[in-house]
Amino acid sequence: MAPVTFSNVSKTYPDGTRALVGFELDIADGELVVFVGPSGCGKTTALRMVAGLEEVTDGEIRIGDRVVNDLAPQDRDVAMVFQNYALYPHMSVFDNIAFPLRCQRVPKREIRERVQQAAALLGLEEQLGRRPRHLSGGQRQRVAMGRAIVRQPQVFLMDEPLSNLDAKLRVQMRSEITRLQEELGVTTIFVTHDQVEAMTMGDRIAVLRRGVLQQHGPPELLYDEPANLFVAEFIGSPAMNLFRGRLENDGSGLACAIGEQRVPLPEHTLARRLGLAAYADRELAVGIRPEHLLDARSSDPALPRLRGDVKFDEALPPERLVYATVEAPPVVTEDVLELAQDVDAAAVERLEELAQERFVLACARFDITASPPPRGPFEFAVAVDRLHFFDLETGAAIR
Amino acid sequence: MHRYTWRTLIRELALFALAALWWIPLYFLVTIALKPDLEALASPLSFPSQIELGNFGTAWTEGSLGRALANSVILTVGTVVLLVALGSLCAYTIARRAGAMSTTLYLLFVIGIILPFQLGLVPTYAALRELGLVGTYLGLILFYTGVWMPFSVFLYTGFARALPRDYEEAARVDGASQLRIFWRVVFPLLRPVTGTVAIFTGLIIWNDFFLALIFLSGTDNTPLPVAVYSFVAEFASRWNLVFAAVIVALLPALCFFVVAQRQLIRGFTGGIKT
Ligand SMILES: Nc1ncnc2c1ncn2[C@@H]1O[C@H](COP(=O)(O)OP(=O)(O)O)[C@@H](O)[C@H]1O
Ligand SMILES: [Mg+2]
Repeated sequence: MAPVTFSNVSKTYPDGTRALVGFELDIADGELVVFVGPSGCGKTTALRMVAGLEEVTDGEIRIGDRVVNDLAPQDRDVAMVFQNYALYPHMSVFDNIAFPLRCQRVPKREIRERVQQAAALLGLEEQLGRRPRHLSGGQRQRVAMGRAIVRQPQVFLMDEPLSNLDAKLRVQMRSEITRLQEELGVTTIFVTHDQVEAMTMGDRIAVLRRGVLQQHGPPELLYDEPANLFVAEFIGSPAMNLFRGRLENDGSGLACAIGEQRVPLPEHTLARRLGLAAYADRELAVGIRPEHLLDARSSDPALPRLRGDVKFDEALPPERLVYATVEAPPVVTEDVLELAQDVDAAAVERLEELAQERFVLACARFDITASPPPRGPFEFAVAVDRLHFFDLETGAAIR
Repeated sequence: MHRYTWRTLIRELALFALAALWWIPLYFLVTIALKPDLEALASPLSFPSQIELGNFGTAWTEGSLGRALANSVILTVGTVVLLVALGSLCAYTIARRAGAMSTTLYLLFVIGIILPFQLGLVPTYAALRELGLVGTYLGLILFYTGVWMPFSVFLYTGFARALPRDYEEAARVDGASQLRIFWRVVFPLLRPVTGTVAIFTGLIIWNDFFLALIFLSGTDNTPLPVAVYSFVAEFASRWNLVFAAVIVALLPALCFFVVAQRQLIRGFTGGIKT
């Protein structure tokens, strides 16, 4: 077990693709860090560099206090779970799990003991004699885990190990992996493109985009204080509502204009976001999470209001997602488009359509026990302290 | 949908008749081998009046077919082992290394498939004689291996190139040495080609007459085809014994082919199953 350090690590593939740029991250001993980001952002590349399967173009990777840049994978003492598991198809489950031990020339008796132990930990005792192709997806996933843990390596590397499982199994394996990792206390880098997986599993999350680390920190930090538009939009489901707004000084203080509406920003809010002062009379992106758009019928009358037009709602006990159009220009920056692109092409089109109509389809998260809001005009209360502000050019959060 | 009509039936019968043509030589081979001495000469085409199984025993002892069988096995197995071990290793290297060297090497092997080995027969024979290897198992095994190595490398390379690298990468991370990766992970995955190479070259070498005659005639090391040939010279008047010897020589190869047929086809059509 050992810490892992990336110091200014870059990777440029021979064809010129810059898969990772100036990556800086310290991973503590025994920590579980999740690398998350849309596909193609360099997660796998980062992982493969730690494993030694890709050369480091620039910078330094350290495992413990050893610089491993020039070390062969065989000598790094890391274990990797591949996205497609890469179980040796011609070997039984037992032989698959035993393989790393055989490489270390561990005595036969000890191999048997340790494989049994790993199998017991993963509930694979019955499967030891079978070939991988006769196993279910979940069992294969466990065998891949078994092959990794049997060795007690310095570091676990897992590349989207759950993406081939069905939804229910994924949730189950998620907690199983977290439990195992805690039990074994091995430093782990877990890669996923699924932000929900990232949020539920990581001690710490590192968000990547186009090879650049956007932000890292515990899940709550990324959720509550996203460093930029990309992280704001990427983390959280449903995503943060984003409006193009304008900071106006109306004599009594700053207010945020969203379309024709004005949301006054009280002193204490401004005190938390000192950077806002510099944006007076300028356009910016305003973000608000669905749970911070409240039902005006039952919330603090002191909170500013935002009018919308309720279009539909989805009951998803214990909550209700209310969708309403708000008359305001949406934020259509590159970050947002890229994330929409990740969903599908239609999402981009929808976004562009809305941009022309100057509407935002906002989502609010209500309690299911409250009566559903009527279709048509409706007032939301804005938890004004929880508003997020971003620079439209750079996407950086205004703090 | 096809309906079974008179036309279909007639077509089928015609095809069966055509296929039966191939059985005619085999029929004569078997019937003559079973005839008593005189009948084989007097009426070779008739159905045997009496089944003479003893012909096989006579042919076996008179022609020293036991020794010849052992020779055939040694030559075939020895060559096939070399072709598989060296061919797979070589092809794996070619498949996994990008660069001029590996491309050139590959081309050399492809040329080796195209060029007839007879071109190099005389000088190679001279060289082997200098080395004192003419007349020995080793000499002929080396020659066979040289002749068929391009074919082996060619088949293995095509397959190895299509093999996903994940398994090797997993093995590297698992801490396996290069040799272990090859023998424990890659080689087993190449099994379909190994089957094809072994069966295909094995059959050719088993049946080879020409090279065995050139390199081994006059020694005790001759394989079955040469032994049967000598037998013909010696027992030309006893066709029933000659044919019995031919059957004895054919039988192992035939059994083997029937058993291994599926494997053979799979290796050519490729694809690994995980
Ligand atoms: N072997 C390679 N050669 C060239 N480009 C590559 C190679 N592997 C990955 N890339 C590129 O590098 C970028 C990052 O890829 P990857 O690390 O696989 O992303 P992720 O795992 O986050 O989806 C992508 O643009 C991808 O196309
Ligand atoms: Mg990936």
